[in-house]
Amino acid sequence: MDERDLVAQACARDVAAFSALARAHQSKVRGLLLRLTKGNHALADDLAQETFLEAWRAVASFRGDSAFATWLYRIAYSRFLMAARKRKDEPLDDWQGEAPSGENATQARIDLERAFAKLSAPESAALTLCFALGLSNTEAAGALDMPLGTLKSHVLRGREKLKALLGRYP
Amino acid sequence: MTDAELDAMLTEPLPALDTTAFSVALMEAVARDAARPARILAWLCVGVLTVILAAAGALGAWAMSRGYDSVAPTAIPLALTALTLLLSASVFQAARE
Repeated sequence: MDERDLVAQACARDVAAFSALARAHQSKVRGLLLRLTKGNHALADDLAQETFLEAWRAVASFRGDSAFATWLYRIAYSRFLMAARKRKDEPLDDWQGEAPSGENATQARIDLERAFAKLSAPESAALTLCFALGLSNTEAAGALDMPLGTLKSHVLRGREKLKALLGRYP
Repeated sequence: MTDAELDAMLTEPLPALDTTAFSVALMEAVARDAARPARILAWLCVGVLTVILAAAGALGAWAMSRGYDSVAPTAIPLALTALTLLLSASVFQAARE
């Protein structure tokens, strides 16, 4: 069954279809949020759960103008921004995570995550969506609800910051 | 670091995360959310039936105090019993949700 059928069934309040969609996309949504929350697994998973719950409640309003994943990233980013506003008294200053689990847990990966933690949220989100998650600039701009030019600025600035930061690590 | 090296790092997939526990917690939350309208309806029924029950009790007390003979002696207890059963069923359904 393809994703369009699953979305149609989820719109008809089919929990099993939505569950299949959530299983297919949860890893990427959680990965994006983990990067935005600077390695805070608990906060990232809370936000991911809120993202999918909001998606479940609003799935009938999904018109298919963008990919379902892009729609989820948009919800996730807006949830992250809302949480960041609430937590403005206790900002996430630095990378809080342990070494990423799995086979990719190399020192380079750890350095990359530490460097990402130094970027602003729009820079981090723009780079993650455009590179690790493979969205086009237009899709990423839609997901982050910003003009295309602004997204490109964030990507360029983020890349320059990362290059400088990664050059500092031994 | 060159641009090509940076691009190679950036395009690496995000680290794989354990999905089982998250999926279970998410589906429980979705199921709770899906049952929300039924739960709200059940508690509304409980509210309405409580009001009816109280009104029936008040009416019964009033009828007894006035000594009305036209009311069958079993009518009010039967009505109260039926309403209590309905109320219990609603509470039971709400608790199950």
